[in-house]
Amino acid sequence: MMSTTLSVLADSTLITFVFALAAIGLAVVFGLVGVINMGHGAMLTLGAYFTWYATTSGVPFVPAVLASATSVAVVGLVLEHFLIRHFYDRPFETLLLTWGFFLITTELIKIVFGTDLRTVTNPLPGAFDLSVVTLPAYETIVAAISLGILLVLALVLFKTSTGIKIRALVQNPEVASLLGLNVGLAYKNVFVLGSFLAGLAGALISPMLSVDPYIGNIYLVRSFFVVIVGGIGQVLGGTLVGSFIIGGSETFFALFAGQVLAQTIVFVLAIVVLRFRPSGVLRPR
Amino acid sequence: MTRKASSVSAETVRGQILLRTETGLAVLVFIALAVLPLLISGYTIYIVPQYLLYGVLAMSLSLLWGFAGILSFGQAAFFALGAYVIGLAEQADPGLVNPTYVALLASLLLGASVAAFTGYFLFSAGVRDVYFVLVTLALSIIVEQVTISQSQITGGYNGMFVPRISLSFGTETAVVLSSDTAIYYFVLPVVIGVYALLSWLIRRPFGKVLVGIRENEDRVLSLGFNTSFYKTAAFSLSGAVACLAGALYGTHAGFVSPSLAGVSFSTQVVVWVAIGGRESLLGSLLGAVVVSALSTYLSAIIPDYWQLALGVVFVAVLIAFKGGAASAFDYAFGRRFRRD
Repeated sequence: MMSTTLSVLADSTLITFVFALAAIGLAVVFGLVGVINMGHGAMLTLGAYFTWYATTSGVPFVPAVLASATSVAVVGLVLEHFLIRHFYDRPFETLLLTWGFFLITTELIKIVFGTDLRTVTNPLPGAFDLSVVTLPAYETIVAAISLGILLVLALVLFKTSTGIKIRALVQNPEVASLLGLNVGLAYKNVFVLGSFLAGLAGALISPMLSVDPYIGNIYLVRSFFVVIVGGIGQVLGGTLVGSFIIGGSETFFALFAGQVLAQTIVFVLAIVVLRFRPSGVLRPR
Repeated sequence: MTRKASSVSAETVRGQILLRTETGLAVLVFIALAVLPLLISGYTIYIVPQYLLYGVLAMSLSLLWGFAGILSFGQAAFFALGAYVIGLAEQADPGLVNPTYVALLASLLLGASVAAFTGYFLFSAGVRDVYFVLVTLALSIIVEQVTISQSQITGGYNGMFVPRISLSFGTETAVVLSSDTAIYYFVLPVVIGVYALLSWLIRRPFGKVLVGIRENEDRVLSLGFNTSFYKTAAFSLSGAVACLAGALYGTHAGFVSPSLAGVSFSTQVVVWVAIGGRESLLGSLLGAVVVSALSTYLSAIIPDYWQLALGVVFVAVLIAFKGGAASAFDYAFGRRFRRD
């Protein structure tokens, strides 16, 4: 009984961090520049495919992951420069445009890489045996990386002058620009950072499941709910709490109700949270 | 202030002209559709009602998105619900009344009540814009997941066969609409009816309030309109129409599976409406018919490139032609290009 409880707890923790990893790019873009990036899922997929391509071409896993994330960041830069930056004041338009980006990218992926399932070899197939629970090695490392990313982002946002500028931008873009902040450039940087994080998440998640052109979709809606439940603008704490509620409760309900139904329950739960706590569970009404 | 007022009245006048020409065009289109089975037969007559039902689904989104400014990524959820309702009702025939009538009525009621419940639950708390989009996206996933997991009722992944509907008058025995022409002439009046109802409604004060909400919800609220009531009503109507279309689609196609509720079909509807013209019911209807007909045709020849082209057209419409094909038509026939 004790060990079951512990292993459920360990599973939930790992899932929480994987969800946080998948959601953090979205949270950055959504929370800091207010763009609903429906293309987030496609960026995850791109990251996964680039990693598959690089590793099968003989590139070692770690450089492959970094190169994939950087490539996705470049894609994000192009998208931002030619489309998104003209529509920042219109959230509906950016939502639909990024959805168009998703449609186009998914088709391009199908044309370039084909629709067959691809597998990325797990670089760390073993497990950490902690006598009470065994943790799958790769998932544990990914969870640690996810936590690391959150901590680094926290440091940047709250301890550096760049962070102050970005927070000023979130609070009041007009005054920030009057004080000499290059708003356009700051938005661009944030969007590219979000794309990089999405690509990184896709790359790191790729060995955990088989890669297909719709792999990112699995995480897209969940990531949105992570961000909404956690609270928009609460980029770090919110993402973690949101991931815990979405990912953790999915693991929990799956114990009683089966995987598919558990997901449904969690979505319904998230909608209820959205209704009663529109600014997230962390913030008082 | 005067500039604002004059531009608003010019907008209204232009809107009336558009409506008048659109009605004329709609009559022509419906007459052409009515005589089509007399001229040709075969696969075209079989498949056209399905495209028209996609068109009804598109009109249900046009009412919401084009007129009330509420974007829904969940119209396919209602469409699939309708298809399942008719399948289950025809199977569970108790023999008292014709199950077709029960099923069609039930699909209308179910669509309206699910939408009314969801809509009231969210709109009354001020959930709007992009948040509502995400909820509707989740709604379609929820319906997809539930139909997968309740496999003893719905057949799970494998889907469910749906019998053809049958009509009965009084005590006569029911006539199954098995021929392509029979179901064609059953679907077409429904399509015309939905179009007529919706285009009548958007010219009524109800429609004006919806447009007001689209343009500036806070101002309409401060004028004393209960905007969450109007939005809930629009969403319910849209849900009922989508559900009815789904019920007829289910019985026409003879089959329903969970992917009918899925995200990709849901967003396909958004693409049709954007390309056809979100602020035009006829544009949305024809957008769905033309794009889905082209999809069937071109998917066989160039599947990937066709979808890619569709994505590019969708983005181009969003950037340059907010009004879609309907406003391009408007422009081509000498009216000032609407770019707002």
